[in-house]
Amino acid sequence: MMAVGVYVLFFACVLLLPPCVIGVIRKGKALMQGRVGAPLSQPFFDLFKLLGKDQTVSQTTTWIFRSSCAMNLATTLIIAGIVPWLSFKPIFPGDDLFLLLYLLALCRFMTILSALDSGSPFGAFAASREAFLSMLVEPAMFISLGALALIAHSTSLHVVFDLSLPCSTYDVPVWLAAAAALFLGSIVDLSRMPIDDPTTHLELTMVHEAMIIENSGKNLALVEFTHFLRMAVVYGLISQCMMHAVGRLVEFNQLTAAIVSVVSILGMAVLTVWIESVFVKLRWRSTPEFIAYAMTMSFFATGGALIGDMYARHGL
Amino acid sequence: MQIIATFLVTATVLLWLVCSATMAALAFFGKKINHLVPSTVLFAGGLTMLLAAMFGWQINYLWDAPWPIYLAVAPLSSHLDALSSIFIGLLAVVVISVSLFSPGYLEHLSHKINNGCYWVELFLFIIGMLGLILAANAVTFLVFWELIALSSVLLVVSDLSNRQARVAAFIYLGATRIATGFLMAGFLWMHSLCQSWSFSDWHFDQHATLIPAVLIVIGLCIKAGIWPFHDWLPYAHPAAPAPVSALMSGVMIKVSLYALIRLLVMGGLVSPWVSYMMLAMGLISLFWGILWALVQKDLKSLLAYCSIENAGLILVCISLAIICHGINMPEIGALFLAAAIFHCVNHGLFKSLLFLGAGAIDCRAHTRDLELLGGLAGKLPWTMFFFVIGSAAICSLPPLNGFSSKWLIYQSLFMLANKFHSIWLSGLSMSCIAILGLVSGMSLYCFTKAIGIGFLGRPRSHAAEHATEVTLPMLAAQLLLALCCVALGISAPDWMAVMQPACTAAFSNAPVLSNVYTIPMALFAFLIAGTSAIIYVLWLSDQTNNVKKYVTWECGFGDLTKRMQATATGFAENVTYTFSPLFLYSARSKIAGRDRRHFPEDVTLQVSTTPVLASRIYMPIVRVVNWLGERMLLLQAGSIHLYLCYILLTLVALMVIGVLI
Repeated sequence: MMAVGVYVLFFACVLLLPPCVIGVIRKGKALMQGRVGAPLSQPFFDLFKLLGKDQTVSQTTTWIFRSSCAMNLATTLIIAGIVPWLSFKPIFPGDDLFLLLYLLALCRFMTILSALDSGSPFGAFAASREAFLSMLVEPAMFISLGALALIAHSTSLHVVFDLSLPCSTYDVPVWLAAAAALFLGSIVDLSRMPIDDPTTHLELTMVHEAMIIENSGKNLALVEFTHFLRMAVVYGLISQCMMHAVGRLVEFNQLTAAIVSVVSILGMAVLTVWIESVFVKLRWRSTPEFIAYAMTMSFFATGGALIGDMYARHGL
Repeated sequence: MQIIATFLVTATVLLWLVCSATMAALAFFGKKINHLVPSTVLFAGGLTMLLAAMFGWQINYLWDAPWPIYLAVAPLSSHLDALSSIFIGLLAVVVISVSLFSPGYLEHLSHKINNGCYWVELFLFIIGMLGLILAANAVTFLVFWELIALSSVLLVVSDLSNRQARVAAFIYLGATRIATGFLMAGFLWMHSLCQSWSFSDWHFDQHATLIPAVLIVIGLCIKAGIWPFHDWLPYAHPAAPAPVSALMSGVMIKVSLYALIRLLVMGGLVSPWVSYMMLAMGLISLFWGILWALVQKDLKSLLAYCSIENAGLILVCISLAIICHGINMPEIGALFLAAAIFHCVNHGLFKSLLFLGAGAIDCRAHTRDLELLGGLAGKLPWTMFFFVIGSAAICSLPPLNGFSSKWLIYQSLFMLANKFHSIWLSGLSMSCIAILGLVSGMSLYCFTKAIGIGFLGRPRSHAAEHATEVTLPMLAAQLLLALCCVALGISAPDWMAVMQPACTAAFSNAPVLSNVYTIPMALFAFLIAGTSAIIYVLWLSDQTNNVKKYVTWECGFGDLTKRMQATATGFAENVTYTFSPLFLYSARSKIAGRDRRHFPEDVTLQVSTTPVLASRIYMPIVRVVNWLGERMLLLQAGSIHLYLCYILLTLVALMVIGVLI
């Protein structure tokens, strides 16, 4: 009975939390700009509205455009199932770190292709940018998660993010640095400010929104929900890192851990609001510099994991 | 078992030899050649070879050819065991698909190439690779090495009227000569150290073997297209006919890497110098190959550069296996070795698939230039489908085979880091993970470009607009390879067991490999496919939903033209700009007209990239050699008196030296 309850809760979170995150971001930005803003539930209404609409599809497109959003949603649901983003035990076995990174890449592959599919110059601009950004941010993602795997001595995600495992003092900086690297990486990965401005009206300057310029109706609803879910999962992963960093001070049991996870995912949304309200969008040519910060943080994380192990073994 | 396997291999070789002799005779007498016969023979031979590989996998059998066949100083000797069987299996699969693909492909070249010569060279090329895989001593090895080199040079230049192919063959021939030179020097040196030609007597664990090991590594790396010896590869692979490119990229490169495994890993090389040199070369080729692949416009050049990347990746695995052996971690060394072998097989499969796809485009759209392609999705739907599978595999996306070997590589790197042997080694392997991450991001960029510009959007030229789907056997060839890619992806643990004997032979206490691979890939593949199918039927399909067809969004200015799309160069511009020093990148733009700002009348943009090694290092060397050659001409004045004088001077010099010593 307990297990069933956990699964129901999990699926409720998968369905409800992602639109809430985006709702918080939009509301928060509106408040920061001195507007009232749409209600928190607006993303739900938007999704339902889009799901009720028919799609308009370009004649140039092929099966790639038609099916990519279904494949991406399916893959992202699996990602949500293998990543312990809510501190729950994941559903599937084989929750490997490198599998996660390549499933994310699979989504990206299909998204880029579907952007190119219509032969629209907007889509192609954005696809090229997305491919470039993800290429640069990939090493940071790999070794910041790799550093966490090093301190857990396993690449299995539920072992890496197991809150009940003992955490030494040497690990705290690793968790913090990895969280920072992942957060900077997530800005790139999720196409948020200051890399990409999702609210501008000019398609030529955008990354994610321009890639999905041809999607409409139900297709767009699925794409949007996939993006929201991906955002929630990545924010969840970062929150888990933060919770591990404070894990030496605070004892979590299963229930509090789950609640804190949900709250900190929303907290990440608030952090995003602050960043998006305070910073301006970077010029395109200076985005590699921004990614270099993520890279540096991930190197700190790896170095910390290696040096921490050396100290733990041989003493100071 | 041994008898069956030997019989099968011998029968295959004899069958092919007879067939190629017939073809040669027919070509000599100027008879017309029906492609059906040689391709059937090739197909049958491929099947028997596959059987031989299955039998050979279970045995470890050394076989010397009977008395009359003797190679001057050593017998013609072959060695069939688990490791060689895996590579024979790979060769067999690629050969089968090439035999299916060739007849249809050769149609569009029929007036340009001599079909009889093509088949003779192809048979000899494949026999050469088979012999090289089986070779058990240095002399046999060199014989087949040369057979491969010469027959593949002739295949590259099949179309003699093509200047590009002639240049490519010339450069390739030069590269193979240098490779053979290094290899021969290394082999002779090893022979004088070990007093034997047989590979099983060669052990690379002493100090004295350092230099021959380096010579052999360089010789093999030239043939494998490893940086900095890769320059011939982007010339030769695109110039050859597509089935030959598939064999060259899919198998020939792997055969050189196989020789590295056979000689150095099995031979117990421990020298850290050699292994770190190999690691550095591998890492650089990894990055360099994909970086250059990204900016290519020619589809086959793109694939050729990408082969450099993958050869580098395999070399990284081999060198780390040797490093692990040196620091007494055989269990991780065995993992690296398994990853290397597995990636050899996987890359052989998907790269052949991609080259066949490029060949299909070439034969139907009559161009491989991405700037002229596009919109092929509707014209060659099945070719595109297989090309997407091949690309997803090469980007190592789950659930395809590229992912299973890449995962094994990551896992071995992580395990090496996690051993904390020393902080430097752990840091090194974490850096390798970072580099591999960057490279896989780059290959994603590269292959979305290949598909997106090549197949999607609108046709950019008349030829692309009128392309049609290729013949059924050509599709069957691609289907076979695509199926192999999927099968090796979703049943990876079973394939780990296939590599077990080879790894156990190299590292006595190798772990059980099938226990290492813990991902239930078949389950994930099923879940992704099932869920997406449900979502598709529910919300997306034409049958269950109203779908309006309309033009691509054109801002309300009327229909888009085919020129209003991204180009291959434009799509990769971010990388070209960011890494411009490595490309010697230059861009010149001209925007002119009366109202230059709003309505320019003349807009031109010229961009260029130059291969930095070729232009900055190899060309100066070639120029110095040419200059020296011209100076040497003075000695060869053509006068008999002068030559008599040289003879006299030489005799005197020899006498003086003789007296002094």
